[in-house]
Amino acid sequence: MSGVQLSQLVKRYGDIEVVKAIDLEVQPHEFVVLVGPSGCGKSTTLRMIAGLEEISAGSVTINDRVVNRVAPKDRDVAMVFQNYALYPHLNVADNIAFGLRIRKTPKDEVDRLVAEVADILGLTDYLKRRPADLSGGQRQRVAMGRAIVRHPMVFLFDEPLSNLDAKLRSQMRAEIKRLHKRLDVTSIYVTHDQVEAMTLADRIVVMNDGLIEQVGTPMDLFLNPANTFVAGFIGSPPMNQFDALVSGSPEAPIAEIGDQRMALPSLPELSERIGSKVTVGIRPEHAQVLTPSEHLVHVQLEIVETLGSEALLHTTLENNPFIIKTETEGYYSKLEEVSAFSVDPAQVKVFDIETGRVFGQSGA
Amino acid sequence: MLNWNLYSRGDKFFAIAVSVLVGMFTIATLYPFIYIAAVSFSSGFAAQAGKVVLTPIDATVEAYKYILVKPEFWISYRNTFIYTIGGTIVSMLFIIPGAYALSRPQLFGRRFFNLFIAFTMWFNAGLIPFYLNMRDLHLLDSMFGIILAFAVNAFNIILLRNFFEAIPSSFEEAARMDGANEFQVLWKVFIPLSKPAIATVTLFCIVSRWNGFFWAMVLLSSSEKIPLQVFLRHTLATLSDDDEFAITQLEAAYSAETVTAAIIVCSIIPVLLVYPWIQKYFEKGILLGGVKE
Repeated sequence: MSGVQLSQLVKRYGDIEVVKAIDLEVQPHEFVVLVGPSGCGKSTTLRMIAGLEEISAGSVTINDRVVNRVAPKDRDVAMVFQNYALYPHLNVADNIAFGLRIRKTPKDEVDRLVAEVADILGLTDYLKRRPADLSGGQRQRVAMGRAIVRHPMVFLFDEPLSNLDAKLRSQMRAEIKRLHKRLDVTSIYVTHDQVEAMTLADRIVVMNDGLIEQVGTPMDLFLNPANTFVAGFIGSPPMNQFDALVSGSPEAPIAEIGDQRMALPSLPELSERIGSKVTVGIRPEHAQVLTPSEHLVHVQLEIVETLGSEALLHTTLENNPFIIKTETEGYYSKLEEVSAFSVDPAQVKVFDIETGRVFGQSGA
Repeated sequence: MLNWNLYSRGDKFFAIAVSVLVGMFTIATLYPFIYIAAVSFSSGFAAQAGKVVLTPIDATVEAYKYILVKPEFWISYRNTFIYTIGGTIVSMLFIIPGAYALSRPQLFGRRFFNLFIAFTMWFNAGLIPFYLNMRDLHLLDSMFGIILAFAVNAFNIILLRNFFEAIPSSFEEAARMDGANEFQVLWKVFIPLSKPAIATVTLFCIVSRWNGFFWAMVLLSSSEKIPLQVFLRHTLATLSDDDEFAITQLEAAYSAETVTAAIIVCSIIPVLLVYPWIQKYFEKGILLGGVKE
């Protein structure tokens, strides 16, 4: 089986670099998700792996073979497109069989493979239908069928779920995950939706502005973001961030914002920052409003968003927006009265105010 | 039913004005057909006297009898079919690949080629240089010359190119990932997706070939090579010049007018038969459902 390596990969349009010398190693069988805001270069990276975009510099290696000059059809990769790109003049069976027929696969082999894929994807009853007569989820499945029927070494997904409504999206997400478990093919998946990234990925690659910000498992990224960008991108809602002045002692550093004080974790880098400013990050779920504590940080509650078992409290902390995520079970009536929270210093992240890099983490 | 109360006074006025205008256009388009058909079935005397308005006067089929027995009529009819079918096929062989190539962003010098093709729509060498060119290529009085010389039409290429350009690039990319080469992308994806546009361009080619008159008259001299439209003109000229014919025209059951009308009716029929067959492709949005933007 095959992995994919990107080394010093660059894409330039004229003078504009949209992918800036990125390195990435995707292990065989791995499900890697490239995530980032629009224009971060994630789709371009995927298209360079597919062979649909020329590579300006660096190299793409698939299964130990440099494929920079190999045509897309000879890279043994298959791609699922955002808009499905199903051939409207062909029925489902012919859409799935298209690539096999182009490659002159014998007819009974084609029939067998199409039937097999239709069975996996639950499309057997729809084989004679045209794409126009299918629902969004069915079309998406046909698009995947077209990719898996060839048994490629690598699957590429280019925002495959972004055209579906929210409910269908979570269904298809689970289906893609199940499919990957069953087929066990190396997959690279592009999305701008961090929820998709968190739920699908073995490893997530967070991209921004043509660069890789951080690579890691979903929980790794969630618990140990390397910088303010990743902290602000991963998690729903994302990590609260605000600037604060460091005071106190190296053993017990304290963050000051306005009149409020908050204990910080004792990190080696912080001892040099006493008296200067840093960015403090607190996950919405780590702010406790329900357990009594001596070290309360006061906030002004603006609105309460109830989600069912959880609620989001939109507050301000010294004029910085601050979101608190809390349970509702048994506390619902008290949520309107929340005016302070406490937080375990070990769960507070501190970032360099200039570079945005997190303190207390080597590497990343 | 239309509920007029839902419309403002301006809307009503607009709807009425549109109906009146469309009605007038319809009559203006339809009436010549009716008139020609009526004349072709009228007596020569009535036609010459200008009595025919809407229906045949002194109904007769003498004019048809006169032309249908002429071997030249059938030869020219056959030639028109050859020019139309052969010409359309050759045209499409040039236009489809040409339009596809010009629609591809990866074509080297695409802007330059597109500009040059469009240029020929506004400016051309003119009648005499074109004639001399054909003469020097030894394509005068040649059926092949007629088919080849008018095979490529810039307007049709641009029409089809624009349609190809509007097809989402993911179709091409998906086909390429599936292993298709350029020719297969064109043949298996773009052509099936472009049926409405190709039908339109085909119809344009058919109609212009069918009605092609001027250059056929200029370039062809042998009577066994001329198309129906040129034969029509010859007949018109002969009948009008024919003294004997003019003398007997008072009793004649047919005249130059009715014979001309009969030939025109004969020449319209095939086009009328082809159109409904092609027409179904015109409004059909075949792209629906394949992609979701």
